Amino acid sequence: MSGVGSTEPPNSGGAGFAGAGAESVELLDDLEAGELSVEFEGEEPEVVLEWAIERFAPRIALSTAFQTDGAVLLHMIHELDPSLRLFSVDTGRLPAETYDLIERMRERYPELQLDLLSPKAPAVNAMVRRHGPNLFYRSVENRLLCCQVRKVLPLQRYLAGLDAWITGLRRDQWATRSDIRKVEIDHDHGAIVKLNPLAEWTEDEVWEYVREHDVPYNELYDKGYTSIGCAPCTRPTQAGEDLRAGRWWWETNAPKECGIHCAIETGGLEHELRALVGEGDD
Amino acid sequence: MAHKASDTPTLDLVLRRNSVERLKREKSPLGMLDELPALIAAGYEQVAEEDIVRLKWWGLYHDKPKIGTFMLRIKLAGGIVAPAQLRAIGEISNLYGRGEGELTTRQNVQLHYLGLGALPDVFERLRAVSLTSAGACGDTVRNITGCPVAGLAHHELFDPTPVLQEAAEFLYGHPTYSDLPRKHKISITACADSCAAPEINCIGLVGALRDGEEGFGVLVGGGLSSVPRIARELGIWVPKDEAVAVLVAILDEWREDLRYRVSRVKARLKFMVDDIGPEGVREQIEKRLARTFDDFVLPRAAAPGNHLGVHAQRDGRFYVGVPVHLGLISGQQMIELAELAGRVGGDIRLTRQQNLILTNVAERDLDVVSESLAALALPLEAGRLRGDAIACTGEPHCNFSVTETKTRMDALVQLVEDRFGRDADGLRLHLDGCPHACAQHWVGDLGFQGTTVRDAEGKRLQAYDVFVRGSLDRPAAIGRPVFRRVPTDELDAVVVGLVEGWVTARCEEESFRSFCDRSSDDELARLAGREAHERRRLDGAAK
Repeated sequence: MSGVGSTEPPNSGGAGFAGAGAESVELLDDLEAGELSVEFEGEEPEVVLEWAIERFAPRIALSTAFQTDGAVLLHMIHELDPSLRLFSVDTGRLPAETYDLIERMRERYPELQLDLLSPKAPAVNAMVRRHGPNLFYRSVENRLLCCQVRKVLPLQRYLAGLDAWITGLRRDQWATRSDIRKVEIDHDHGAIVKLNPLAEWTEDEVWEYVREHDVPYNELYDKGYTSIGCAPCTRPTQAGEDLRAGRWWWETNAPKECGIHCAIETGGLEHELRALVGEGDD
Repeated sequence: MAHKASDTPTLDLVLRRNSVERLKREKSPLGMLDELPALIAAGYEQVAEEDIVRLKWWGLYHDKPKIGTFMLRIKLAGGIVAPAQLRAIGEISNLYGRGEGELTTRQNVQLHYLGLGALPDVFERLRAVSLTSAGACGDTVRNITGCPVAGLAHHELFDPTPVLQEAAEFLYGHPTYSDLPRKHKISITACADSCAAPEINCIGLVGALRDGEEGFGVLVGGGLSSVPRIARELGIWVPKDEAVAVLVAILDEWREDLRYRVSRVKARLKFMVDDIGPEGVREQIEKRLARTFDDFVLPRAAAPGNHLGVHAQRDGRFYVGVPVHLGLISGQQMIELAELAGRVGGDIRLTRQQNLILTNVAERDLDVVSESLAALALPLEAGRLRGDAIACTGEPHCNFSVTETKTRMDALVQLVEDRFGRDADGLRLHLDGCPHACAQHWVGDLGFQGTTVRDAEGKRLQAYDVFVRGSLDRPAAIGRPVFRRVPTDELDAVVVGLVEGWVTARCEEESFRSFCDRSSDDELARLAGREAHERRRLDGAAK
């Protein structure tokens, strides 16, 4: 049974999950996570995934923005345990090509358990009433506010119901990501466990895997995009152009290290958000 | 596709896997100072991300948020700073850094809010007083720490300052040793208290006497951050005049081994010590130096001291250890301290506990010094608890921290002082805002590490993991997070409960660590008024 599931976090309904607010006691502490991150160096992503599923299922899910890294992990997980949950934030402003990809994914992986998370309508409404739908073009604070309402808050709500989440973060994406561990404690999100099984992989290895296993990918990559986010905030980059140029290209006083690879999975965006627009509420 | 750690990798694999290794080879980070005028002309917005990373080699980190100002870390080998140097730092702080500054656990000074445009003048001012920030951050030999009263203290075995200075002069900014697999921390001390914490350094040269001869025993592979290790003993006797050669041999052994460059997660020296043991390291350096070293085992050192208060020096003058609450010091305080030190003919030393020491004070000047310090809002009477408390930079400056740090520690110190007065003296509180452990929470009597929890409405709350049984008392040990995810407004009760239990039940001068060692998790949990993490886990598994 394929299902694009509810927009609610898993702790609010599904069988097998504790009630909202229930605190899990099975989490790793920093000492354990540190040692595991050293042990998993040099291991294939599947080894990390198998261990994580064994340890945390069903309170574990894969976060994907349907970029290639996420697609690779989706494929691997489908081979290992098709019942594992995936989630993606549907900001309401994604490009049509991303929705097309989701449809193709559903065909390719019929057992896909995908939760598409939506922002809360009243929060979006309040923001748009005050600032307009394309507020992000007007200031960095506005853009961060939009990221917060449409992307970060739905993510935070969903993570509150998990013991562990899996991301496609890789060290080669950005110089400042060179220290990513395969097992981390996510202190931005209630000290749940964050797994980055692709940490060691390079861009080339990801594409090699996509081709070898015929994993569906976003058509925008064929149209010159190097990173895919919301439609109004992403554009293709020219050969030789700075990778940063593809996202929020109009901004002049934006936080550094956000540019092209600013993924919600890093936690960095949330740190900037809190520093520049404060704690979010919806 | 995976690469096993036991194979020796090729340089090609290293460069594919590790973007920082690429970035260092594409352009030397040490060359960044020459590029400053061009970067300033183009504007902050145009500075490539890779160059921001390279600027770390000159001690520069982004402040938070990352929109244009920098933190600068200035290295002070052994924590020694002359009055003219401290004045220069204070003046830079006042001119460009909003008058703020902080002392660090590696005896550095850090300034904040420096704009790109200010940097050429900042570096010129540092150069004029022979200060450097070369290698203060990045894959370098970080500030070499030592006993702050080396050469002055009564009971020290000998003065290791010449060795420390020789090492610093050779290693700081040296191109070869600024391309290490990762950061590297060295401590060189002959303090009778080993106050410089050699156990948590990559290499600790610990002064000793052998049949009257001055030399060192060697500890290797210590370090905290996410994967903490207490250093292990190499088991050799190193004569004083060979100390730097041994340091360099260990560094060479590690930096030339490509296994420690594939992944930054396994790059620190401690992982080489994990892999081949101290005996393996010894064998390698003996082979490299084509000589053998005599066996030597260090005698058990005393509990580390903090050098606070007024103490007689060997020469009859005095040193005055001044608690600097939370390590925060203003530009103005630095300038006036420099003035005071100059007046009494001494210099200033920084300690691992983020405090400072005024040296060479004549007995007749002690009262004046004490009054002047009080006038500078640095009273000597501030309690020992205050002087021993360490909190990391954290909010509002640091990009990693997820909680308050110095402000939360301020409240904790106040709480414990109000409740227990001087009864809690000797208790060492260490608080970090993230797992990087700049404030060494793994080895505090009570360690705190910032994290977050969600309340019933799903609102994000600041919280702390609480570590006990860690300590730098010998033998040093890494603490355990016995209580986890304690919301910040429930933290006071945990701290008061545990300290109360210790103060009430301790035998004689029993340390907090010893009290925790002989108490079970459940006993500590009763004192803290909440269940210990491991118990919760066991109960959870039984259900």
